[in-house]
Amino acid sequence: MASVPDDAATGAAIVADAIRKRYGDRQAVDGVSLQVNRGEFFGLLGPNGAGKTTLVEIMEGLRQADSGTVTVLGQSPWPRNVALLPRLGVQTQSSAFFVRQTAREHLRTVAALYGAGREAADRTLESVGLTGQRDVMVENLSGGQRQRLAIASALVHGPELIFLDEPTAALDPQARRDLWKVLRDLKSEGRTIVYTTHHLDEAEALCDRVAILVDGSVVALDSPHHLVSAAAAPTRLMIPAERMSEADAAAIPGVDRVTVQGGSLVLETAVSGKVLQAVDALIGLDGVQTRTATLEDVYLELTGGAGTEGTQSTRSAQGSDAMNSTHGTNSTNSTHGTEDMERQG
Amino acid sequence: MSAYAALTGAGFRAQVRDKATLFFTFAFPLLFLVVFGLIFRGQEVEETGRPYISYIAPGVMSWGVANAAVFGVAFTLMQWRRDDLLRLIRMTPTRLPAVLASRYVISLAVGAVQAVVFVAVAMLPLFGLELNARWPLALPVLVLGITAFLAIGVVIGSYAETPEAVAAIANCLMVPMAFLSGSFLPLDMMPSWLQAVSRVLPLRYLNDAVSAALSGRGGIDDIAVGCGGLVVFTVIFGAIALRTFRWSNKT
Repeated sequence: MASVPDDAATGAAIVADAIRKRYGDRQAVDGVSLQVNRGEFFGLLGPNGAGKTTLVEIMEGLRQADSGTVTVLGQSPWPRNVALLPRLGVQTQSSAFFVRQTAREHLRTVAALYGAGREAADRTLESVGLTGQRDVMVENLSGGQRQRLAIASALVHGPELIFLDEPTAALDPQARRDLWKVLRDLKSEGRTIVYTTHHLDEAEALCDRVAILVDGSVVALDSPHHLVSAAAAPTRLMIPAERMSEADAAAIPGVDRVTVQGGSLVLETAVSGKVLQAVDALIGLDGVQTRTATLEDVYLELTGGAGTEGTQSTRSAQGSDAMNSTHGTNSTNSTHGTEDMERQG
Repeated sequence: MSAYAALTGAGFRAQVRDKATLFFTFAFPLLFLVVFGLIFRGQEVEETGRPYISYIAPGVMSWGVANAAVFGVAFTLMQWRRDDLLRLIRMTPTRLPAVLASRYVISLAVGAVQAVVFVAVAMLPLFGLELNARWPLALPVLVLGITAFLAIGVVIGSYAETPEAVAAIANCLMVPMAFLSGSFLPLDMMPSWLQAVSRVLPLRYLNDAVSAALSGRGGIDDIAVGCGGLVVFTVIFGAIALRTFRWSNKT
């Protein structure tokens, strides 16, 4: 892929100002303003139905906003802007393939639609790890392979700005990590990436900044690190249950709460260093685990209702499911973190 | 490679790699030709004294070509929209005329192969079609016919959201039209009111003009009227197609 020209290294890739879009009686996007900088890896998070897709489609120029303005790479994406389109890459559904073609034939056709050459198709197949499947008919690819081919369709012409829609959703853990590398390489080449995901750990690992969308509005917009620090969610120490009694644990200064979960004593604290020292003095630190708050904790608080400890302690396994099902149940535990976040957003 | 050439290549491969498409495009109309050709073998239509094959061969050919044009573009359009391929194309700088031109060329190529196959079979001694000296005039007629039925196919493909809907709508339209326009049974055998009614059907004009060119049943004026009728239908359905076209099934 050709590298991004120098003049693209500065300034904003996307400027959205007070974007609104209504479908019937539903306000899908309700006054969103945000800026994505060039070379930035920008995550768009939020429950299903929060307006992510509509917002992205407005940025892509597939839909017209009811009001507000959006500027993409210095141009207006609406109406269909043929000068702008080759500079954008858009991942479509994993079904958007020309029928009865091999992976390579499909990608060569897409490359030709963008005016790119055949070598670009082969190079892109290589970069998403599909060289071995290049002669397989698109209908016979596995779910993960289809997804990678759909992503390749967005990258084949070397776009400056790439929109990806849940790119790792159907991938197994290894393929997901492989794709992370592809995405990081794209970023290191100076490309701008806007992507939606339900994998919060992934957003935390990849994104420079994330915007969390709830009911068509941005409720938080910052780097994952800042969002997590500002949320001031408790750190959890997990101690094998047989090594310490609940009463002893609760007596340690700085411990706010003690519960027993899955054979572990879970100590919640805002001052983990101090508590760790105390635990060390009492029983040593063998087998003691620490869990700090993650972007997922912040997300669940902001998107409502799921900020209970049960969800949090099992977050790595259950997070994305919990997130899908909890939208709409309005949060009752509006904590300190939420207000901080809204001010920042 | 240009976008037009790439799309044409992909469409061509999709066409030849699907056995069902090949069967319904080439073998299925041929089946009608053979069945009706054998039933009425050596017979003449009482009302005119002309051999049946001079009606059936151009009739089945017109219907087969029209059918392939309608189904081909309607299925493709429905599928492209359902699978989000239209959105993919929409997000590339490729201009719409290049997309349309590639589909048009594929339909013309399919129609040309069909025409050659059907005429060749009809000219076998078993069926005994004799070509009129005017036969080259069938080529522009077929081009106009394919254009008109492509426009109809675009309307169906824009309206239908599933393959079942495409098949249902297209069949409801094309099968009765084939009988009412004289594709399978000579219109000269039909009551005069039916002959009059069939004037509102585009296939009637294609049939008449192809018959006049291939088997000499009718003159240059019939070919001209047929072409004129097809142009009118192209304009009407082309206008409807422009209004019904959708990039996406979602609003």
